[in-house]
Amino acid sequence: MATRNALYTPLTLAVLALVVGPIGIAVFVLGFGLGDSPCVLCWAQRTGMVLIALTGLFVIRFGPRPRYIGLAVLLAGFGLYMGLRHSSLHLWRDVGQGFSAEILGAHTYTWSMFIYWACVVMMGALLLMLKDGEAASEARRLRPLERVTLWLFLVAAAGNAVQAFASTGPPPYMGQGDPVRFSFNPGNWVWSLEEWTPSPVSLRGRWAIEKPDAALASIDPASSPLANVPVLPAARRANLGLPLDGPITDLAYDAPTDRFLVTTEKGIYITDGTFGRVVRHTVVDTGFSVDLARFAAGAFLGSDTVMAVSENKSYVILRENDKADAAANYRYFLASFDKFDEVSRSRFTTVRAKMMYVMSAAFDPASGSVYTVTVPNTRVKRLVVSRFDRRDMTLSEEFTPALAPGSGLAFKTEKGSLDSFYATGAAFAGGKLYVISAAFGTLLTIDPQARAVIGAFSVPGLERPIGLAIKGSEAFIVDADGAITVVPLP
Amino acid sequence: MWHHSAVEFLNFILIFTAGYLVLRRPERQRLAFGLLVTSCLLMATLFLIGARGSILPGLNY
Repeated sequence: MATRNALYTPLTLAVLALVVGPIGIAVFVLGFGLGDSPCVLCWAQRTGMVLIALTGLFVIRFGPRPRYIGLAVLLAGFGLYMGLRHSSLHLWRDVGQGFSAEILGAHTYTWSMFIYWACVVMMGALLLMLKDGEAASEARRLRPLERVTLWLFLVAAAGNAVQAFASTGPPPYMGQGDPVRFSFNPGNWVWSLEEWTPSPVSLRGRWAIEKPDAALASIDPASSPLANVPVLPAARRANLGLPLDGPITDLAYDAPTDRFLVTTEKGIYITDGTFGRVVRHTVVDTGFSVDLARFAAGAFLGSDTVMAVSENKSYVILRENDKADAAANYRYFLASFDKFDEVSRSRFTTVRAKMMYVMSAAFDPASGSVYTVTVPNTRVKRLVVSRFDRRDMTLSEEFTPALAPGSGLAFKTEKGSLDSFYATGAAFAGGKLYVISAAFGTLLTIDPQARAVIGAFSVPGLERPIGLAIKGSEAFIVDADGAITVVPLP
Repeated sequence: MWHHSAVEFLNFILIFTAGYLVLRRPERQRLAFGLLVTSCLLMATLFLIGARGSILPGLNY
C-alpha cells in the first residue's frame, strides 16, 4: 500500500495543481474576475488541460490502465502542438505584445506549452514508480484528498461550462478568434459562427511563400501597368564568356578599380572592366552557419570589399586578401580559399518585406547604405525598397515607392500599381537607385529622397534580366543566360 | 451536420458528466471513458478548425 500511495499521492497532487492552478485561475480569476475570454484556440488548449486532469482522475479511481496512460500521452503531445501553434501567432512580435492576459509576465497561451511539457515530465516520473502488474488494478476507494480533488475538478469543469456558455454559446455557436470580455450579463454576450466560415486549409499558411524566380515574371512590356513607357534601345550587346561555377545572378561595378563583380548562386567573381577575365574569385559554402541559400545579388561595399546578398536577405561580406589563410578559410569557402577573408555573414531583417524575397542589392557609398528591392509572390504583391545602414546592417528606412508627380509616368488604369514589378537587379548612381525588372523588361529609376519612381524605360531584347550594374554613363543589364545588354543611363 | 454540435460548452458538459461518473458511479467506467475520449476528439477537432489556415505553427521554417 505504501508503494501505491507513493504513486497516487503525487498524482493526486499533480491533478490538484492542474485544477487549482491553470484551469481554476483561467476560469475563476482571469475569466469571472477579470473578464478575460479565451479565443477558439485558447478554449481547446484549456480543454486539453482539463482532459489531462480528468485522465489523471481516471487513473486515481481505476488504476493506471494502459489506455489511460496512452490517452494522457496523446493529450499532452497534442497540447504541446497546440501551445506551439498558438504561440507562433505572436512569438515574433515586439516585447510585451501579444493576445489577452498575462500570468507572471507571459501570455496565457505561451504558458500552455510549459504546462503540457510539465505534464509529460510528471507522467514519465509516475510511470517510473509503477510496479509490474499494477495496471490491472480494480476501482479504488477514494481517499479524502482524492475525493476533494475530484470535487474541485467538477467545480472547475462546471465553471468552465458556464464561461463557455456565456462566451461561445450553445450549439452550433463556437469560440471566436477575437472574443469580447466575459460578462455575467446576457446582454453583453456575443455568440458567433465565424469559425464555421469556409476557408482554405493550409499546412504553412501565410509562410508558404514560393522561392523567387525571374522566369515567373512576364517580360512582355505590353502587360506593364504603366502607360506610355519610353523605349531605351540597346547601345550594344555582348555575351559573358567567363568560366563561372553556375548561372549568373547579378552584376556590380566599382569605378575606382574599374572592375565588375559577378555573382552566381554560390560564387563571387571579380572581373576586369571589360568582362575579359576573372581576376579573383571564390565559391562560398552557403550552408555554413547562416543559411545563405542562393546568392541573388551582389555589390561593392568598397574597392576591396564585396557583398553577396541571398534571396532570403542573408548576406556575406568578403574582403580581398592576397595572403588569406587558406586553412582558416576552409570553413567559409568551397574553392579558392586564399583570395578573400570573410568579414561577416548575417541576415537583413525587414518589416514590410518580411514575407518577400529579394533578388537585388545596391550600395550607396555617399550615405553608407545598402538597398534591397523585393519581388512579389503569390501571397504578397508589393514593391518594397529597404535601406540598411552599413555600420550596423540594420533596417534604417523602408518604403513602397509611388509614381513621382511630374515624372510623366502614369498607370494604365486607376487601380494600377507598381506591385507587379519584379526587381532582379539594382545599382546606385548619382543619388538614384536604378532597378531592372524581369517583369515587363523595364528599367526603373527611384529617387530615395522622394521615395518615388521618377523614370521607367522599356529595354527591348531582354529575355530574363537578373542583374544590373552601372559603369559611367551606361547601365549593364545581364540576362540569366549571360547575355549583356548595355543601355545609356537615362 | 455532426460537427455543428462540437462546441466548447457541450464539451465541458461531457467532461463534467465523465468526472461525475468517476466520482459517484465508478461502475460506469466504460461510459465515463467513452465520454472522455469523445471529449478529446472534440477538443482536437475544435482546435484544428481554428488552426486550419496554417496547420503547422506559423513560424519561419
